[in-house]
Parts: sequence; structure tokens; C-alpha cells
Amino acid sequence: MSFLKPKASSLKPSLLKEFTKGLAKENPVFVLLLGMCPTLAVTNNAINGLGMGIATLCVLIGSNVVISLIRNAVPKKVRIPCYIVVIASFVTIVDLLMQAYAPRSLYEALGIFIPLIVVNCIVLGRAEAFASKNGVVASMADALGMGLGFTLALVLLGGTREFFTSGSLFQIKLIEGWSQDFMLMGQAPGAFILLGIFLGIINWVNIRKAKKEGRTYTPTGLSCSSCNLCDLGGKEG
Amino acid sequence: MLAVSLALIAGIAAGLLGWVYLVTQAPIVAASQKKTNTALRDVLPTFDNQPGDETVVVGDVTFYVGRNEGAIVGFAGETITSKGYNGNVTVLAGILPDGTLSTILVTQQAETPGLGTVVCERTRQQKTLSGLIKGTKGNGLSPNVVLDQFEDKSAAQAPWSVKKDGGTLDAITGATITSRAVASAVSTIAETFASQRETLLAGNIGTVE
Repeated sequence: MSFLKPKASSLKPSLLKEFTKGLAKENPVFVLLLGMCPTLAVTNNAINGLGMGIATLCVLIGSNVVISLIRNAVPKKVRIPCYIVVIASFVTIVDLLMQAYAPRSLYEALGIFIPLIVVNCIVLGRAEAFASKNGVVASMADALGMGLGFTLALVLLGGTREFFTSGSLFQIKLIEGWSQDFMLMGQAPGAFILLGIFLGIINWVNIRKAKKEGRTYTPTGLSCSSCNLCDLGGKEG
Repeated sequence: MLAVSLALIAGIAAGLLGWVYLVTQAPIVAASQKKTNTALRDVLPTFDNQPGDETVVVGDVTFYVGRNEGAIVGFAGETITSKGYNGNVTVLAGILPDGTLSTILVTQQAETPGLGTVVCERTRQQKTLSGLIKGTKGNGLSPNVVLDQFEDKSAAQAPWSVKKDGGTLDAITGATITSRAVASAVSTIAETFASQRETLLAGNIGTVE
């Protein structure tokens, strides 16, 4: 990570924190539950998940860097339209580039969900909550972390669904005797069921951890009025 | 001030987008041509021209002319039928100059996953783990019980129908409608070819009335 080097060493830990928070602690899919639409729609196999994740990652990096650069020049009253213009431009660029250079099958499989990155909550969310208040380098670290966290989640979901659908991973058949596809996992219901199981496991782990440390579990970024997880973690602990 | 800054950002974005559009225009055309050519390569014998540029339109059917060193090696007939279970089904059928059908492909469909798609899908054979270790590539088209039935039939025998309708073709249980749509599309292509064979072999391109 060469962008860490020129800064003073005292900045390193916080930059690293901005980067790593998106991977696990504030993972956009598994913790913040943002961007559910592409998450559920395109993760029928690992390659689609990876493609969607990388496309979103590119848009996030571009928009976060540019928005951080122009954050002082943009009047507060029109900041959201400005951010949307920047984000939409990057999405269009990514769309054109994918159309030109990505494998056609991938581009067609992702279809409408590439243009729809414009309205992905993660992108505007990071612009408003982070890039508009922080420097370029920190914003880039934040975008990298969030984008990679999103990609990781999509590949994980896509890989699991692909494996249970046809016994393959990244289009490579791991179990050769697997002849009949398990369609449920490949379709939308499978996405919901699997995402639910993943979220359940993550909450279970977090609640257990919180109990061991003798505190109640508060999910990151959520207000208490929106959920009852504290009760679940608190009553028995 | 508000309007100026917003206009400025929009202007810069528009300029940037225009530039990216110009740069990617040629690769995008090449990529979509490559996709057509990949499908045509699957249904036609070896060709060295651009069949996408040499088309003959007869009624509802578009024929792509495949040539090797100038001589016609085959035609790829493409037609869209609305008889699918869920919207249009696009069928691409390879026909040799003597009227023998070769590979049939469904290039576009929105049939029920798991039922209708069984009739339509002819995916490239999946790479397997042991195949990767041995170094063999899974590149051939996978067999398809419905589409393979047309292979080696003569276009003059068209039309064909599924057994349920008194015909000879096997259909997939639970996907009779899709099987019917494919049978009707292939029949249309074959009948059109049989009726216009001389015109097509003459090698003129354009629209035939």
C-alpha cells in the first residue's frame, strides 16, 4: 500500500483502520446491510459476484476521491446533486469500459445492475458520510476497504450459491458427479435464505462475543429503535 | 454560485463521458461482433469472412452467409418466435449448402429456469477440477436432447412438431411449450431455406421478397 508511505507514521494506524473497517467491522453487506439489491440479484455464481464487486469498487474509489477533492468547492445546498453527477459519471464510465473489455457473458449477466450502481446506497453513503468530510488519502482508504468488503461478501454469497447449485466454483466443476442443478439456490429464494443464514451466523457470533465480554451487543451504525438485538444479547447475559 | 458550481461539475462530467464514449466505441462494436461470431462459429463450418456483414433477410428469417476462401460453406438462419412460455425465443440454426441442418442454438430466451431452459441451454461444457489438473479444456458445446434431434435432418423434411402434436420430436416433460416454440422456429428456418435455396446459393445479399 504505497499511498500509506509518504504520510507521517502517526497517520498509519488510522488509515489502516479506515481501510479495514469496511472488510469486517462495518462490512457494507453483512453488517450495514447496504446494497441489498445487487447483492441478492447477481450473486448466483462467484464470477458474477466478483464482477459486480469490482465494478462497485471502481465506482467507489473514483467517486470518493473526486468528492473528497471537491468537498470544499461544492456549496452545501447542492452537494447531493453534485455527488450524484460524479457518481453517475463514474458508473457510466465503468459501464462503457465493461461493455468494451469485460467478457460479454459477464456484462450480460450483470445487465441492468451495472447502471443501477448509481443508486447503490454504499456509494452515496460513503460520499456523504466519509468523503465529504475527510482528505483524499483517507477517502481512498475508506473506498478501498468498503469496496473490497462488498466484493468479498458478494463472492462469498455467490460462491456458496454456485457450489450448492451445481457443485462448481468460478465455473469449475468441483464435484463431477453433480448432474442435476439445485435450482432453489440459483434463484432469488436461495439468495434470501443464504443471506439470512449468513447474517444469523454473524449475529450469533457477535452476541456470543459480547456476552463473554459482559456487555450488550450493539450493531454498528444502527440505532436501537430499529432492532431488538440488544434484548437478545442482554437478557441472558 | 450554486448554479455555477453545479453546471461546472456537470460540464466537466459531460466532457469526460464524451471522451470515454469515443474511446470505447470501437472496442464495444468489436466485442458485440465477437459475440455474434462466437455463436456463428458454433453452428457453421469453418469460415473466414464476417457473416455478420453478409446477411440475407427472407421474411422473418435472417440468414448469415458463411464463406471460406470465397466459397459458401453454410448458412446460419436466425429467427425470433413469440411462442415461448415467457416471451420471445431467438433460434440460430446452421444449414449446410445441401440443406442439411447442423447445430441448433437458442441465443436469447427468458424461459422458466430449470424447465424451459433445459430445452434452450447448450452451455459450453464446464471445466472440471480433474480436467484442469490433466490440462484438458472443456470447450465443446454440451449436448442438448431437444436441439440435437434436428441435426443431420434435411431442410426439405420441414416442418417438424413434437410427439404431443402428432410429430416425431421428443419434448422435455414440463416444457412442452418451449419445445414447441423451438420446433416451430427451426421449422420456419428450414422451410424458408428450402423455398429460397437457389436464391441463397447465388450469394446475393440483401432482402428477398
